[in-house]
Amino acid sequence: MSSGYFLDPETVIERLRSQGGRAWRTLRFVLRDNSAKLGFVIIVTFGFMGIFGPMLAPYHPIEDTLQQGGSMMRLQPPGGKAVLGTTSFGKDILSQFLAGARPTLIVGLFGGVGTGVVGFLVGLTSGYFGGRVDEFLMRLTDLTFALPFLPMALVILSFVTPSIWIITAVLVTFLWKMPARVIRSEVMTVKERTFVKSARARGAGHLRTMFLHVAPNVLGIGFLYTAYAVGWSIVAGASLAFLGFGDPTTTSWGRMLEQVFRSGAIRVAWWWVLPPAIGIGAVTTGVFLVGRAFEEIVNPDLQTEQE
Amino acid sequence: MSFRRFLLKRTLIAALLTLIAVSVIFATLRMLPADPFSGLVASGSLTPDEVDQIRAMYGLDEPIYVQYVKYIQNLFTFQFGISLTQQRPVGEIIIPALVNTMVLLLPALVATAIVSSLAGMYAGWNRGSWFEQSSIVVTTVFRATPIFVTGILFLIIFSYGLGWLPAFGMRSPLANPDGYLETYLSVDFLKHYLLPFAATVLFYSGDFLMLARNSVVERMGSEFLMLHRAKGLSEMEQLGRAGRNSLLPLVTYFALRTGMLFQGVITLEVVFAWPGIGRALVQAILNQDYPTVQAAVFIMALAVIIMNLTADVAYAKLDPTVEAGDV
Amino acid sequence: MSLLEVDDVKITYRMPGDDVHAVNNVSFSIDEGDNYGLVGESGCGKSTIAKSVLGLLDDNGDVRSGSIRFDGRELRDLSERDWMSVRWEDIAYIPQSAMDSLDPVMSVGAQIRQAIRKHRDVSKAKADERVAEVFEMVGLDPTRTGDYPHQFSGGMRQRVTIAMALALDPDLIIADEPTTGLDVIVQDKILNKLMELQEELGSSLLLITHDVGVVAETCDEVSVLYGGKVMEQGDTDRVFRNPTNPYTMGLKNAFPEVDEFDEQAISIPGSLPDLTEEPTSCVFENRCPFATEECGASHPDLVAANEQLSACHHVDEADEMRDQAKDPETWGIDVRNEVERTGGVGDVILETDGLEKWFKQPQGILDDFRGKEPDYVKAVNSVDLTVHEGEIVGVAGESGCGKSTLAEVIAALQDRTGGEITIDATPIDDLLAENTKEFRSQVQFIFQDPFDSLNPRQRVRAAVSEPLKIQGHDPETIDRRVRQTVEDVGLKPADKYLDQLPAQLSGGERQRVAIAQALVLEPTLLICDEPASMLDVSLKANILNILREMADDRDIGIVYISHDLASLTQIADRLAVMYLGRIAEMGATEDVVRTPKHPYTASLLAASPRTDPDADRKRVLLPGEPPNPVNLPTGCNFAPRCPKAGEQCYRGDPERSECTEGDHEAACYFPVEDVETELLERYIEAREDDVEEVLEGGMTP
Repeated sequence: MSSGYFLDPETVIERLRSQGGRAWRTLRFVLRDNSAKLGFVIIVTFGFMGIFGPMLAPYHPIEDTLQQGGSMMRLQPPGGKAVLGTTSFGKDILSQFLAGARPTLIVGLFGGVGTGVVGFLVGLTSGYFGGRVDEFLMRLTDLTFALPFLPMALVILSFVTPSIWIITAVLVTFLWKMPARVIRSEVMTVKERTFVKSARARGAGHLRTMFLHVAPNVLGIGFLYTAYAVGWSIVAGASLAFLGFGDPTTTSWGRMLEQVFRSGAIRVAWWWVLPPAIGIGAVTTGVFLVGRAFEEIVNPDLQTEQE
Repeated sequence: MSFRRFLLKRTLIAALLTLIAVSVIFATLRMLPADPFSGLVASGSLTPDEVDQIRAMYGLDEPIYVQYVKYIQNLFTFQFGISLTQQRPVGEIIIPALVNTMVLLLPALVATAIVSSLAGMYAGWNRGSWFEQSSIVVTTVFRATPIFVTGILFLIIFSYGLGWLPAFGMRSPLANPDGYLETYLSVDFLKHYLLPFAATVLFYSGDFLMLARNSVVERMGSEFLMLHRAKGLSEMEQLGRAGRNSLLPLVTYFALRTGMLFQGVITLEVVFAWPGIGRALVQAILNQDYPTVQAAVFIMALAVIIMNLTADVAYAKLDPTVEAGDV
Repeated sequence: MSLLEVDDVKITYRMPGDDVHAVNNVSFSIDEGDNYGLVGESGCGKSTIAKSVLGLLDDNGDVRSGSIRFDGRELRDLSERDWMSVRWEDIAYIPQSAMDSLDPVMSVGAQIRQAIRKHRDVSKAKADERVAEVFEMVGLDPTRTGDYPHQFSGGMRQRVTIAMALALDPDLIIADEPTTGLDVIVQDKILNKLMELQEELGSSLLLITHDVGVVAETCDEVSVLYGGKVMEQGDTDRVFRNPTNPYTMGLKNAFPEVDEFDEQAISIPGSLPDLTEEPTSCVFENRCPFATEECGASHPDLVAANEQLSACHHVDEADEMRDQAKDPETWGIDVRNEVERTGGVGDVILETDGLEKWFKQPQGILDDFRGKEPDYVKAVNSVDLTVHEGEIVGVAGESGCGKSTLAEVIAALQDRTGGEITIDATPIDDLLAENTKEFRSQVQFIFQDPFDSLNPRQRVRAAVSEPLKIQGHDPETIDRRVRQTVEDVGLKPADKYLDQLPAQLSGGERQRVAIAQALVLEPTLLICDEPASMLDVSLKANILNILREMADDRDIGIVYISHDLASLTQIADRLAVMYLGRIAEMGATEDVVRTPKHPYTASLLAASPRTDPDADRKRVLLPGEPPNPVNLPTGCNFAPRCPKAGEQCYRGDPERSECTEGDHEAACYFPVEDVETELLERYIEAREDDVEEVLEGGMTP
């Protein structure tokens, strides 16, 4: 390896440590915003449910069918044995709601992080090198823009059995373009700044310049779009499940909505609709509220400085 | 770079992109393991010989590259073939669906683009105000919540709960209108229209509002606004100039959104049983009706590519400082 | 009665945490038809005062006390509605950066028309007539009123803002750094225009600037501001001829004159006072070499000294202080022995031979196909330059002349398109053959913008050690050399600075860190691209001194690129003057400055404003601006603007060997003998039928 492409571990560790401190400070700053505080509480609650939800559920969401007086409890309104009522198949809605947080969390988290990472790397490469590399990668994003996401995902999922991981992969395949574009244009601005030229003049190679000088200065935007991508992934995952293309072996909030909608129980069983609907709406809103407050900090154009 | 050359280059790229996009669609669809007829064989309704006949009718027995060439030819001449499951030309299925979608979404998009952008500019100008804070939070909620969830909540409140508005379709089942005009010009249609329209407007409002607000905020400390103020312009006139300077990203975004019109709210059409292109596509996919799927996806891709091109051109035309080549 | 009376004004900005007391008890008044100057460095409160007179303070800024009266009317009491009628009608404004001050999506004519129709009930056609009129007054082509701001060059944009200010015949024009960022020749023309028009129209002018030379040449009266306080006030000539305040002395001496070789510029040590509290001591106390205990006790009142006012406790010792203030040692600067500045002492470290950097202009695919030769911008065009060890070679030129490109090409930050570069007798290609290690350890670069040349996420230690890490040194060596270098550039003690982030450092400190980054590898050649141009004047000399020391003590060869002739003459042993990609003239600094041969060099030198109020200087009204660098005409690049150009100049492009006198070379067939009669007077004559702006096509990059 030639010297220019050399990243010494010491520098990298030091960088990571300082990034950690930065993240902590930023979070404290973001949470000064009231709506972000609310969003943060929602996300933490959701994360907790995602991890411990299935353990807290009083019944198994799919296997246990609630009985009362020897007959199946169909479409019971909240109360008694089933705190949040039952489905038309006699399943406990509270249990489904608690268990359904996990697949939503997994799809959101992995889809979002995957999208963020892929988009960040593509945007960084494209913006930093420019020229043909950029032309190629940007036409590739144009292509993924042109291919309609939901229909293509439906087609793909109609010939492979959907599982959480395949769904996550499909999401990343179609969503990486969003952060990639933003990061690219941000990198193109940072690239022109003097300190990047200065790093080159001091002898830094491309890898070093790219990852130690350019990347840290667009990392904020990268995290912002990762946060948004978490939101998009949850929305997309839920939409797929709602259309009947979710993982059939697990209960997710999107699938709950599909079942209530398809069974026609939506006309009466509001208790079946509200938990998953509010759950999805709250989580995505929470993510976006935090993201928006974060954007006020990382977007330099939004900072009006005084003399 | 001259504008003509820029336009030529962009158009060429767009054409190439369309070709690649349809090829990807073709490849993806051919990866489907089965076609609808195999199912019919299994159930015993058709003999294998009959299936072969039907396959020949649809050209499915030819080598894959011949199929590919024919497929491309047909798409670009807008001959979409015959639906596999409905036994009628795909065009007959798709075109009314496209119109229905457009009737729902285009007015919603235009309305929200204008109202939300103006509100966003006002919010940005009054940064830190009560109006700004609350408008952002409200639109963020609707922007973030998946549109089918909003739709479902609207349904259980306004249709099933309060019984104010119908829940299903575009016209009541008893109506039997003839032609587009008769379909759309009626109170019955309006009742069906209201909920999905409202859901769409609210869903799109967040992006326009934030974009307009951010652009105005970015320009607030700018020197040229200070000079406008020094010239004696009133607050509203200054906001007008800030708004004009923020127009560019908004128009671009509007063009891009319009391009994604057909693929925008598939789930919403399903929730309200709106007979639009999205719903038709979902059904076609479930029925493995390739010709319809191909045609619908192709039209969606084409719309995006054309509107992207329009956005680029609008960008070059709207901003006097942008040389065509910079885009 | 005075037109504008500012009386005991205090202005504060509300900041999270603390209020900033930007302006404290400032008073001055402007009579009708007078030019008044407010001069001071950044952060002195001068722009804040200007904005308060227009009611344009930012939302967090308040006039806390005092009064601002215009034509007898108290402006502090005005409602926003009343303000709208005062602005522009009575008080117009020429903003600091015409670049950002014009609405980018509105034609310039429409912007001026808007100002007219806002205040006068006139038809659009009538307003357009006036627009054309003011366009002509400022020397712009009236057919271009429909153009957008980006279609004008910097100087022309500034003329547009002046035209705008004149549109309603205001009683007072406030000009906030109207020429900052412009090249000297353009600056000279703009100031000339401004003065001429103001004379004609009889309006008053409040000029705000950091440039002592500009004030000295244009204003009748002046206030020198520092830390939100008036330090000295009075007749401009008197204030600058015999300053009675140590700050004025320092400021004046920090501006060297172009032809003062023997006087070393001073810099004022220390940094700006903390303004989060109202000053309890003299605001200049911590930087003043004459400060005593008394100065720490209170800020002095303005008292009469000679015929001006001065805020100094020691005003009665002004004469002695003035003598001492001329000596750099008073300000804590080591005086370097002038004898050492001989130049050309060591071996040749850098040699360029016919160096070229041409940028290909995009052309149609069809033209490519037909094999049509594309157009080029010849940013650097056959440049021969030699630098010896221990020598500082200055490269001067206006923006767009290719000097920065030259610097980056030599430093291999851009590829050259022709010619040879040799470093220490080794061709650059050999040095770069394997990797950049070898080359970077020999050739280093210092960038212009100290506020942007450090990675905001990198602490000083990491920034300075990075070059060593890349070279693969062991941690011990790295630590030792980093400390050493950081102290060498004057950041002492190193421990105080090593763990700081750039945001925690001042501009001067940041530039020192950048210099340390370059020096830590102990290069043999250092290329500096305007290293001091963005710093306040009182800090510039420091940077120059460090570089001089490096050249003298470490035998580093230095290429110093700048548009600022005064700092070049201070530091450079030899001087090269560039015009449109070529070196027009080159020689020992003193020879070039005293007896310029190329008409362009002579014009450039004559355009520098003088801080000495007694200097009587003719303005340089060189017609036009540098032409569009694409498609330059054959012959000498300067010929179209040159009053001495003959037929020969349009036919052949003169070599530098055309006119030589020892080492002093100029690429000119008809070298200048007398600047006054051959150039300056001819320029003024040529102005009578001035069609300059029509010739100029588009903006220069």
